[in-house]
Formats: sequence, C-alpha cells, structure tokens
Amino acid sequence: MRVIVDGRTYEGRAVDLTETDVSAAAVVESVSTADPPIRVDCPAPGDAHEHVRRLPPETFDRRAALAAAAQALGHTSPARAALKDAQSELADLSAPPVDVDAARRRVAETGETEKRLRERVAELRGRLQARRETGADTTAVRAQLNEATSRLAEAETERIAAEQALERAETVARDARDHRERRLELEDRVANREREVRRDLAAAVWGQFRAALRSVPGTAAAGSTPGTYDGDRVTAALAVARLAPLDAPVVIDGLDRIDGADAAASILEAPVIYTG
Amino acid sequence: MLLVVTYSRAARTTLRNVRRTHESAVVRELGRAALFEETELGAFLALRLRAKHGDDVQIERTRPFNEFAAVRKEVRDAAEAYENRETASTPYDKFAAGTDHPDPDAMRGTDL
Repeated sequence: MRVIVDGRTYEGRAVDLTETDVSAAAVVESVSTADPPIRVDCPAPGDAHEHVRRLPPETFDRRAALAAAAQALGHTSPARAALKDAQSELADLSAPPVDVDAARRRVAETGETEKRLRERVAELRGRLQARRETGADTTAVRAQLNEATSRLAEAETERIAAEQALERAETVARDARDHRERRLELEDRVANREREVRRDLAAAVWGQFRAALRSVPGTAAAGSTPGTYDGDRVTAALAVARLAPLDAPVVIDGLDRIDGADAAASILEAPVIYTG
Repeated sequence: MLLVVTYSRAARTTLRNVRRTHESAVVRELGRAALFEETELGAFLALRLRAKHGDDVQIERTRPFNEFAAVRKEVRDAAEAYENRETASTPYDKFAAGTDHPDPDAMRGTDL
C-alpha cells in the first residue's frame, strides 16, 4: 500500500498519518472512491472491508460482517441456490399499474352532477306547483323544468356508465394486485433466504471469530453456539477485521486500546492506516 | 371503516409506522393490512400511504355485514346445517344435493 499526503509518500502495511492533518473520514473515503481527497494506492476493497473500513465503527452489524468475512474466505450456504432462484423470479415479475383513479374520480363527479340536477328538478317542480296554485303563468318554469329533466336523464346515464367503467377497472386492478401480492411474497422470500444465507455464513466462521476475540484487545465472550456474543461492538469489529482476509487498509482513528499503526496491523493481520 | 392493504415491503413498513404513531385512528391491525376508523384523520393517513407508495396501497371502505338484512334465510340455514353435518369429510355440493339447501353454483352467481 502507498499513501501520498501533501507530496509525501508513505509505504508499507502499516501507515501512520498521525503527524498529518488528514482526517480519518478523508482516508476512509480515499480507500474506496474513484476521485479521492488523498491518494491511496491499494487493492480494491471487498464486501467484508465495508464493515470494518473504519475502527471503531460508527455502526456494526455483527452477523452481516461475519457473513461477508465468511464469504471472502470461500464459505457458502446451502440456501444460496434458493436465494438466487427467488431473486431471478422476482426480477422477472412485472407489476402492472392499478389505475383506478380516473374511473373513481369520474364516478364521484357524475354522481355530484346528477345530485345537483335532481335538486334543481325538485325545486322547479315545487315552483311550478306554486304558480299553478296561484294561477300565475307557468310557461317559463315549465320550459326550465323540461330542460332540467332532460339534463338529469343525461347525467344519470353518464353516472351509470361511469360506475360500470369503474367496475371494469376494479376487475383489472384485482389482477394487477394479484401480481403485486406475488411480488411481495417473493420479496419476503428473498429477505428470508438472505437471512438464512447470512446465518449459515456467520456460523461457518464462528469458531474463527471466537479465536480472534481472544487475540484482540477488549473484553468479550462468545459461546460455542453461533450468535451468542456478550461484549461491545468495537471488540466484535476488531475480531472480524482480524479474521477477514483484507487487502485494502483499515483506518484506525481514536481507538485507545491499540497503540500505533504497527501494533494495529499485527493485531488485525491487515493493512492499516493509523490517524491517531 | 377504511381497509388499507399494502402490496410491498416498503408500504408494509410505512403502514406499521403509521399504526404505531396513530394508534387511536387504527381500529384493527391485520398483518400487512389495517382497518382505520372512518374519520378524516383515518382517510388522511390512508391517502398519505397511497401518496407515498402509489399502487402498492389499496384502500377500501367497509361496512358492517348484516346477514339478516343482506342474505336470504336459505343461505344462512345452509351454512348452519353444513357446519352441523354428521360426516366432516362431506363436501358442500354433495351435502346440498337432493335437499332444499342452495346449490353452490347458484350462490356463486347471485350478488348480495
């Protein structure tokens, strides 16, 4: 590994940058991006590196980190085939649109129009009746009533057509939802298989993890059953960093229990950039 | 009530969060679905879910089922009689054959 900061070149498996102004975040970024703030020449980081690229880690998913380390060590899970199948089935599945909005809106609008016209007809009928009783001229009101009545008939036809269209759209939507339901089942299956694969992989390196815990600073205890861990995440992360085959450097920043770049590289059995 | 059904993992998660933060508006939780109370708040929560997850959210308006008003007596009696049948393995169509109980195909074709 080679690191260049302010024109000065650092080389080796353990690089100490405590004397520079470079931040740990900048170094971490430089290990894995194409356009880095500082120049770090090193092999491309793998999936396991992602979990322990900076120690102590801000967050740490122990099982996922162990699974990534196990995979890097060549372990596999019997559930992987089923996971691949579920993933490809999911990728092939299309989810057609449901599209009932427009039909719903039309039913609401035509219903509203019909209701308004019905009220108008009732009102005109009342007015006509009143004029008849007082012997007043009814010609104008009658014409209005005729017009309103025929518009009401039209509105009613429209509303019925809209309701039928909505019913048809709902039938199509039901099919689309069947597809979506199937997709959700597959999404769940993929998630379950992924969990299974992670669990298998993590279990495959559990013995190595327990051994690594004894070689890194920190107090933690792991039982013989995979997953039984009692300790802090920093110790777990250190153990994973030690057991994972890491080609890209781990950035150590503000980790009191390890003193210096060389000590870190030897404890973690990995290339290290030490920023303090 | 408003029945809200979700059709994706993301929509299901949002529904769970809504259920947690607005317990009073949620009448019943049913896995990836929920019954919201029929208030403006219930509608607001349901529409918010749809605004976020589109077609992965289905909203239906439910009403209480009154079998005495909506279902004819023959159907109600048939259900009762079938559940009290002597042989558990008898399928309904065989059970109904030659009796006054309604035929399953006829029931299928009859809307409530």
